[in-house]
Amino acid sequence: MDAFVQDLIHYSPQILAGLKNTLLLMAIMSVTGIAGGIGLFYLSLAQNRFLRRGTERFISFFIGTPLLVHLFLMYYGLPPLGIRLSAFAVAVIGFTINVSAYNARYLMTAYNGLDKTQIEAARAQGFRFFQIFRLIILPQALRLSVPSLTNQVIQNLKDTSVAFLIQYPDFFAQMQEIASTNFQFFKTYVAAGLVYLALVSVIVAAARRLERKVALPGLETLGRA
Amino acid sequence: MALIDVQDLIKRFDGKEVLKGVTMSLSEGQSKVVMGASGCGKSTLLKCLNLLVSPTSGRIIFKGEDITRPDMDIHRLRQDIGFVFQHFALYTHLTVEENITLGLRKIKKMKTAAAREKAAFELERVGMIEHRNKYPAHLSGGQKQRAAIVRALAMDPAVLFLDEPTSALDPQMSREVVTVINKLYLDNITMLCVTHDPFLAKYISDSIVFMHEGVVVAEDVAERLFYEHEDPRVRQFYLSVIDHR
Ligand SMILES: Nc1ncnc2c1ncn2[C@@H]1O[C@H](COP(=O)(O)OP(=O)(O)O)[C@@H](O)[C@H]1O
Ligand SMILES: [Mg+2]
Repeated sequence: MDAFVQDLIHYSPQILAGLKNTLLLMAIMSVTGIAGGIGLFYLSLAQNRFLRRGTERFISFFIGTPLLVHLFLMYYGLPPLGIRLSAFAVAVIGFTINVSAYNARYLMTAYNGLDKTQIEAARAQGFRFFQIFRLIILPQALRLSVPSLTNQVIQNLKDTSVAFLIQYPDFFAQMQEIASTNFQFFKTYVAAGLVYLALVSVIVAAARRLERKVALPGLETLGRA
Repeated sequence: MALIDVQDLIKRFDGKEVLKGVTMSLSEGQSKVVMGASGCGKSTLLKCLNLLVSPTSGRIIFKGEDITRPDMDIHRLRQDIGFVFQHFALYTHLTVEENITLGLRKIKKMKTAAAREKAAFELERVGMIEHRNKYPAHLSGGQKQRAAIVRALAMDPAVLFLDEPTSALDPQMSREVVTVINKLYLDNITMLCVTHDPFLAKYISDSIVFMHEGVVVAEDVAERLFYEHEDPRVRQFYLSVIDHR
């Protein structure tokens, strides 16, 4: 058998552990990122002008600066100040904020495309703002953003590979280690790439199904944004 | 006693006075139409009455209560006023039935089964029952407006406001909607309707309030207002509106 394949089999427990860590991080940030994105989106619609502006600045800041800088800042920058976080904690916090900012932006864009007369109608009916958000705005904004939000999940998966730079033992970190012991850099990275591709394909297939299922009536024929 | 009594209502939008002292009233069971040139403040008047727009000054008495006082419960007030918009404003992600039951369930706290029954009853009255599971995007304009009227009526409001309910419709669909509103009129539903359509105005009103540049300048029954009113501003308006039909 090919020595490389034998290597992979030999290291498979380590590879699988890495894969588990990668999928765990992706799953967590996909959920927290949606929750955070919805929270920021809600704040961006607040009555209070300062709250609205502050939220907008927060989102722009985290979209406008590299994720790696935030991760390094927390992982290497905080310990001298007496705050020591595990690689996992830093990854979860850093990714959550980053993904939330992007998701909030998608939802805000979708909101701009909504027919606002519905909101006036809901106010006229006697709904409170939180109810209007929960019952009218959010369901529509979420459904309009499904293509962007699922793209973000794919982005999340790929971005987890950055976490190895803060010593998080993800899938890519394991492959990196294998490559540095057997010196089969080309084959190892191609194998890693193929695994990511396979995972992404699964997400894409699921995303397409979801998109078709939740398309807003009247907008089904628009296809991907 | 009047259901709604408006006294000297003034509304300014950043310095620009849009309502310049409107005085009018509406009794229970009465139906009035508000007419007047575009931009004279008709929509602003309706929106002041349910506090979608906050009045600058003046008094609005609704069911004996001054609604302009600061501690007014605006949500409770709005539940008592059905509002029908020119562009239907149906919730796009919900079916016709869900559009109607949403308020019943979430505001009136009705059980789902009871809300659906109520929706079915009201949809039946306007000939929309077979469309109850359709989404707004799959309805004609006339059907959308009938659904919007049912959504408002199902909440059992004390009064129904309609802001140019037929302006966005072609004549055929407009006729459908006029028929429905006329039926409400014959059922003595309390209504306040803004329209440019003299035909609609005539068939759904006890009297017509005529506005000009932010004030009420005349109020009379359709025939007198349309054909023989002494105020030149009123005559001018109806000459252009009626002759072109
Ligand atoms: N929210 C607002 N802010 C500023 N100006 C407004 C606002 N709403 C209405 N207006 C102005 O008030 C005037 C009357 O508007 P409106 O009540 O909609 O008139 P109508 O319904 O009679 O056509 C218009 O000149 C309009 O531009
Ligand atoms: Mg208007």
